[in-house]
Amino acid sequence: MTYTWDFAPVVANWDLLAEGLLNTLKVTGTALSCGLALGLVLALMRLSRHRLTSWPAGFVIEVFRTTPPLVQLFWFFFALPLLVGIEMTPFMAAAVTFSIQSAAFFAEVFRAGIQSVERGQWDGARAIGMTYAQAMQRIVLPQAVKRMIPAFMERAIELMKTTTLVATISYADLLFAANEISQKTFRPLETYTVVALVYFVLIFLASLLARQLELRLARSGESTVR
Amino acid sequence: MRWDFASVFDNTDALLVGAAGTLRIFAICLVLGLSLGLVVGLGRYARSRWAYVPATIFVEFFRNTPVLVQILWFYFALPILLPFSISPLAAASLGISLNSAAFSAEIYRGGIQSIDRGQWDGARAIGMSWAQAMRRIILPQALKRMTPALTNRAIEIFKMSTLASAVAYVELLQQGKLIASLNFNPIEAYTAVAVIFFVFLWPLVQFTYLLERRLRRDE
Repeated sequence: MTYTWDFAPVVANWDLLAEGLLNTLKVTGTALSCGLALGLVLALMRLSRHRLTSWPAGFVIEVFRTTPPLVQLFWFFFALPLLVGIEMTPFMAAAVTFSIQSAAFFAEVFRAGIQSVERGQWDGARAIGMTYAQAMQRIVLPQAVKRMIPAFMERAIELMKTTTLVATISYADLLFAANEISQKTFRPLETYTVVALVYFVLIFLASLLARQLELRLARSGESTVR
Repeated sequence: MRWDFASVFDNTDALLVGAAGTLRIFAICLVLGLSLGLVVGLGRYARSRWAYVPATIFVEFFRNTPVLVQILWFYFALPILLPFSISPLAAASLGISLNSAAFSAEIYRGGIQSIDRGQWDGARAIGMSWAQAMRRIILPQALKRMTPALTNRAIEIFKMSTLASAVAYVELLQQGKLIASLNFNPIEAYTAVAVIFFVFLWPLVQFTYLLERRLRRDE
């Protein structure tokens, strides 16, 4: 079977693709920044000695790590609005789901990083009179965060790939733009190929950056945690 | 708001059909993904360029594109190049299997590389060929170290199987959608689906933690 490839219809719709790409980056950025902040809170709660704080954090982390992200997204988009009586836009559902989901993964990265800091650092900080919060903030976290950078980058890349799921609840991300264009132009082969390549270039560059950073950190003598 | 799970229990058959669909695609992708991953992993480890370069391109491509894009490509784009159509199950299995093959290839490669050089030398010294040394000496030791990572991969495959619903393959989430739209009970339907997944996966996750702890103790 011979098929003549024709990319002209896809190129003609480049504005849709650009808008989709922008929306993909918007969801990724929102979920990443909220996920990092929430992840740190969850990690600190889980490390706490009080059951009342460590147990709920552990529950959230386990639930969001062990259920499929698509099921979470559907729950937040179709079930939650009825439960609390608010209007949920696809963007809000996606932002909330992926923020909590990546927070659960980031929490484990934070926890591993904090635990990897030598006991003596704590003792030293306490010996010169720092409180737990001061020691954590000034001594432990700065060292831990440096070791966590590669694991963070990896999670951020995973997050960008996961955001494609928002296309299933009709948020106009890059993949959704592909669905639209292929239906409009009857050129699914070219459209999906182009979109796959756009994702590849974007994520591959991010991976290269992560690898470069990891090499530099390894050279400066920092072991990495996963 | 009153929760009413009766409408979900009335549709137990539909959920069972969905569970069977989820398990079917999980089994297919697990076997295909992990075995193809071994082949690609050996390619990545090989010294010959003819094995290394294609394996590397495969791994980089499938690790750096989203699975959902791959599934939709196989479902909507590939049939145009082929003289036959592709079923939702085939498209989803292809996407998930190839993606898992790329990820597990890196696990295999890392595991094989972690085995001490002396094991190779010893095996070669008593006259084993490369293939014999790999099969009898290196892989058995490497597999033990790789088990936690491979179990993690299996969990990921189970979670990824929900993406098959995007091409209308009948699995748990797809059935949840159906039940929600027929009975107007999205809260109960999607909560039930989430709980089912959690019940399936939680023991598996705990098992991985156990494996990791045991391995750390042994080494």
